[in-house]
Amino acid sequence: MTEIIVVTSGKGGVGKTTSSASMACGLARRGKRVAVIDFDIGLRNLDLIMGCERRVVYDFVNVINGDCTLKQALIKDKRFETLHVLAASQTRDKDALTEEGVRRVLDELTAEQFDYVICDSPAGIEKGAHLAMYFADRAVVVVNPEVSSVRDSDRILGLLASKTHRSANGNGGVKEHLLLTRYNPRRVANGEMMSVEDVKEILGLDVIGVVPESPDVLAASNAGVPVILTEASDAAAAYDDAVGRLLGEELPLRFLEERKRGFFARMFGG
Amino acid sequence: MTTQKAEAAPGPAIDIRFGQVGLIQVLIWTTDPGAILDELTGRVATAPKFFQRTAVSLDLGPLGREPAVAEMQGVLDAVRRAGMCPVGLASGAAAAAALSQPLDLPLLPPFREFHPPAEAADARARREEPRPELAAADVMPALLHQQPVRSGQQVYARGRDLVVAAMVGAGAEVIADGSVHVYGALRGRVIAGARGQSAARVFCQDFHAELVSIAGVFRVFETLPADLAGKPVQAWLDGDALCFGRLGA
Repeated sequence: MTEIIVVTSGKGGVGKTTSSASMACGLARRGKRVAVIDFDIGLRNLDLIMGCERRVVYDFVNVINGDCTLKQALIKDKRFETLHVLAASQTRDKDALTEEGVRRVLDELTAEQFDYVICDSPAGIEKGAHLAMYFADRAVVVVNPEVSSVRDSDRILGLLASKTHRSANGNGGVKEHLLLTRYNPRRVANGEMMSVEDVKEILGLDVIGVVPESPDVLAASNAGVPVILTEASDAAAAYDDAVGRLLGEELPLRFLEERKRGFFARMFGG
Repeated sequence: MTTQKAEAAPGPAIDIRFGQVGLIQVLIWTTDPGAILDELTGRVATAPKFFQRTAVSLDLGPLGREPAVAEMQGVLDAVRRAGMCPVGLASGAAAAAALSQPLDLPLLPPFREFHPPAEAADARARREEPRPELAAADVMPALLHQQPVRSGQQVYARGRDLVVAAMVGAGAEVIADGSVHVYGALRGRVIAGARGQSAARVFCQDFHAELVSIAGVFRVFETLPADLAGKPVQAWLDGDALCFGRLGA
């Protein structure tokens, strides 16, 4: 059964595309058949992060408009053969997406027996973001440990609870996960940044991963390699842990070292 | 009634049940449509979500006379233009009884009787067959909300209490015509007694509210008082003063 996962946040620049790319890679590395779709029509970025921008011939909007088949538009990743990218259109605007069109593409991916479809949502709460989350079974809400990002995530969680196909049809709602990115344990310890516990408490959800702030992320993006593939990187390990938790593995949170002395410090030898 | 006999039949076409809903009452002091529209649009603007397409009953009691049908058409038109839907006439005034037929609006028992003369009571007795007696003791169970109320969401318990068994996020609004009870953290806005019920209260387990309002008396918390922050708190109205106290302390 295909599981549709939306990666969303409300706020821009928190790491949705970086997280979508890394989680898609992580799932594919574990042998899953994965399609990752860029819903940010007009501002396509996912193909850059995935390093396939020069191989984009047809895009999401072309498939919706029937200009090409889904197979023609799916870009096979060079690193993992079970990983496919569906790029956004750079030349259209977000009105090119329709609920019916998105449903058709997702149904076709389901028929193709993909294990996971990752929907990389645009920022904001408008049409693109709405359609990215509408058919989701699960949601990964990417949040930075700062107040405006947390507030926007709360808003998105509210929409996930009320404006999705699952909520509208009483299918038990969308399963929600928090993914903290740009986490800087030193600044948390200095009281300049919200802690994991603060964010968990405000949003009332458990975290599926905490990705530390790392120069590896920018370097990887520039190189067109999802950061999860960077060797000996905390950010890569954190993303891999998050993928494991997404698949139901029980893993302790890592890279929270400089938190307040106590439980976590003792537990992880920080 | 004939519907009772349908019990024997396998699948009745309809069921008639007594139900009870809260209803906004518009007291009519003048039949000048312009004045009514001005006043209503002003009120509606303060809480558009409350009033938009809200069913209202018109109470002609305060008018003290029997308006002409055409005059009342103007009143109805003004009320509708303000975004409300008139669904009936309060039967407190004799005037209402005579207008019910030509205006095609049913007579409803009044919320507050301005003129309860015997003839009006007769009129009510004659016409209220499909309506239940709205006894004050009738119980309207609280609206129970189990999911977190997130930023930008609004939960409204019309005509009753609201129980939120989860958190209320910053920027969220929980509103009830009765009291509001919140069992998770309360970080958003809470409005009790939304239609002026001054006996309504607010109860919460973990107080971080941005705004608390009871029957229109409100307080904004730019900074939380240390003795209330994060504590179980209740708020109530003492005259015109909004009071806060620790629960169980």
